[in-house]
Amino acid sequence: MAAAIGRTIPVLFGISVLVFLIVHAIPGDPAVIAAGLEASPETVEQIRRDLGLDRPLPEQFVTFVSRAVQGELGSSIRTGAPVAQEIADRLPFTLRLALWSILLATLIGVVAGSVSAVWHNRVVDHAVMSVTLVAVSTPSYWLGLMLMLAFALWLGWLPAIGAGTPAHYVLPVMTLGLQSAGHVARMTRAAMLDVLGEEYLRAARAKGVSAVNVVVRHALRNALVPVTAIIGLRFGGLLAGTVLVESVFAIPGVGRMMVDAVAARDFPMLQGGVLVVATLYVAVNTVTDAVTPMLDPRLRA
Amino acid sequence: MPVGVIVTVATLTTGCGGGPDTTVARDTLIFAAPADATILDPHNTTDTESDQVIGMVFEGLIGFDDTMKIVGRLAETWEVGDDGVTWTFHLRSGITFHDGTPFNAEAVRLNFARVLDPDQKHKRLPLFVMLDRVEVADEHTVRIITKYPFGAFEPTMAHISSTIVSPAVAEQYGTDFGKSAPAVSGTGPYRVTSWKKDQEIILERVENHWRLTPPMRRLIYRPIPEGAARVLALETGDVDVISRVPPPELTRLEALETIDVLRTVSIGAQQFRFNLTKKPLDDPRVRKAISYAIDRRAIVEQLVTGFGTPSTSALTPIMRGYANLGEIPYDVEKARALLREAGLPNGFKTKITTTPRYPMGVELAEVIAAQLKEVNIAAEIQVLDWGTMVQFWQGLPPEKNPQEIFIMGAGASTADADWGLRPIFQTAPTNENNYGYYSNAEFDRVIEAAMRETNEAKRLDLYKRAQEIVYLDDPGAIWLFDNFYIVAARRGVEGVSPSPLGVVTFERAVIH
Repeated sequence: MAAAIGRTIPVLFGISVLVFLIVHAIPGDPAVIAAGLEASPETVEQIRRDLGLDRPLPEQFVTFVSRAVQGELGSSIRTGAPVAQEIADRLPFTLRLALWSILLATLIGVVAGSVSAVWHNRVVDHAVMSVTLVAVSTPSYWLGLMLMLAFALWLGWLPAIGAGTPAHYVLPVMTLGLQSAGHVARMTRAAMLDVLGEEYLRAARAKGVSAVNVVVRHALRNALVPVTAIIGLRFGGLLAGTVLVESVFAIPGVGRMMVDAVAARDFPMLQGGVLVVATLYVAVNTVTDAVTPMLDPRLRA
Repeated sequence: MPVGVIVTVATLTTGCGGGPDTTVARDTLIFAAPADATILDPHNTTDTESDQVIGMVFEGLIGFDDTMKIVGRLAETWEVGDDGVTWTFHLRSGITFHDGTPFNAEAVRLNFARVLDPDQKHKRLPLFVMLDRVEVADEHTVRIITKYPFGAFEPTMAHISSTIVSPAVAEQYGTDFGKSAPAVSGTGPYRVTSWKKDQEIILERVENHWRLTPPMRRLIYRPIPEGAARVLALETGDVDVISRVPPPELTRLEALETIDVLRTVSIGAQQFRFNLTKKPLDDPRVRKAISYAIDRRAIVEQLVTGFGTPSTSALTPIMRGYANLGEIPYDVEKARALLREAGLPNGFKTKITTTPRYPMGVELAEVIAAQLKEVNIAAEIQVLDWGTMVQFWQGLPPEKNPQEIFIMGAGASTADADWGLRPIFQTAPTNENNYGYYSNAEFDRVIEAAMRETNEAKRLDLYKRAQEIVYLDDPGAIWLFDNFYIVAARRGVEGVSPSPLGVVTFERAVIH
């Protein structure tokens, strides 16, 4: 585990270099945007100096990294608020959204994928595969609005927007979760099909183990290794998905904060947001890597 | 009992709307806008979203009513001296800020000292460059002295940036003033009690307010960035009022029984400006030709249905100093003749830069390009995001600016001809505000004279001449249409009025 954490350090450093470079490569001048259209050039120049944007890029980078390792992410250009605080306020919303979504995706995905594999090439398999194909290829922006239309406007069962109560999370979690469920279902099906063809399962069936037991205890357990990996990887997709879903459902999370930050070229906010999200992603995948050997004794070496 | 039947049906219809129980009188109104406020400091912000909240929390010495008439607020009366530079304001007594600090002449002096202090770097400083000093005459009399007679003094004082903040809270929070709920304190009928970023701002009414105690006890400001989601939230009853209705949704909303669409003429106009340093756009005949080649009626009736009316001047009719010069007619023959006269019988190539930040910004550019094709002008369209777009609009010398024809939403927030024309078209070495490097000697002379003219009739004559130059004789832009400001409300919400300034007035709102 310690080694796994050690490996993440160069990854995180690489990320911070990339984030810094990409953010500064976007055309547009944050000082101009911050000053507003009616400001004088002197004001813009003053803001540029205050933000340290007049310094050479390498110097700005060193400042950024040396502050970031101390947890100091600077202040927002647009609102003047400390970036770390802004992220801390918003992170719980994004985490809640992402975790419930991955849970939903795993549940639906594993069940649908197993069903599909067991009844391979039968009607139910084709049906599941078609539905998951649609789920994977539907843009979350559109799906979100359609769910809102159906469940909030027509049926009136759920609130359309906001993040005040658990009910507010149902539609955004469905939007995000269904898409990932498609990926998980497809991976589960493929892994299960591999396993179901193996000798030892035929042996198990031959010695009279019930069909359900074969699938759940033997096949699924072995198929879980690649499925866990895909769930870890999908977490990245989910975090990216929160950007759109948070905007559509007006959830005050980190994704939406970054959209605003891009529009305003709010460099500190953007760098801080991407850095935190990337760290989360690396952390989740470090954990999945650590969990996988527990699922498969052969990898425990 | 026919009457009884009708009542039952009506009740059922309401019940099916999925909205909250309408039989109980509500004391909270929820308003959804596209973005959160940035900083609730009238001296240090320039975005409409912040202005919306600032307008409820702060009051100025004078202000605009919903018809843009200037009315007294914290000042009961005011007058200008014979010198044309000394303005005396007689303040109301017995008013306190939300934090309990008394409002008086010293508070006014401290406020203008705050805006004018270059070290504080307040974004609204450019609006106040004409101020010389502010003197306290007595507890409730204050004198504001300008450097020169300034024709637009009253609209500037009525502007939201001239509203008065609590000097005690400003002192306490320093540069953090306006950045959190406790750091906001004015004299308005609502005060900020909670601000969760990107989630909601809660405003509670001030009981026994000196001017009016609003019927709604609480007002919640809720940012919903997506236009389609904002409309859905209104239909479901999650919110009561929304601003910035997306153009494609407008016709549908107007047909709904449960929704009222409210419109007002506004200070905003949609234009495409010319960069006069690009050939052949330096030739007024070419710019006139382009202007005649555009079918504004078609745009207003088919592309942005219900969003505005064709422009009739460089200012909109609600603005002080506006002169009606008529719509520019759609006349392809005249456009062709002007191009021949300019030595371009075979047309020319140009570029239109636009941004989707303006509603239908890209579609407008496409329609204009198609119409210009009729007179052999080949316009390539370049779509940029807002952040990239504005870097071309800030103090660039002409040789560093590649834009030729570019989209522009005009809207002088003082609702006055001076701020609506002078910074935008007066000759300047860079394009810090005059984004198209417009330069016309007669215009410069007229606009300068108008600025220093305090005689209202003479002032209006000068502004009429200025508009003739920039709108007709030597056009600075393709004047397209004057925007309506549009908000939508659930039926039953009354007393909500959209202001021409692009904000909503809620102080008289009720929900039945």
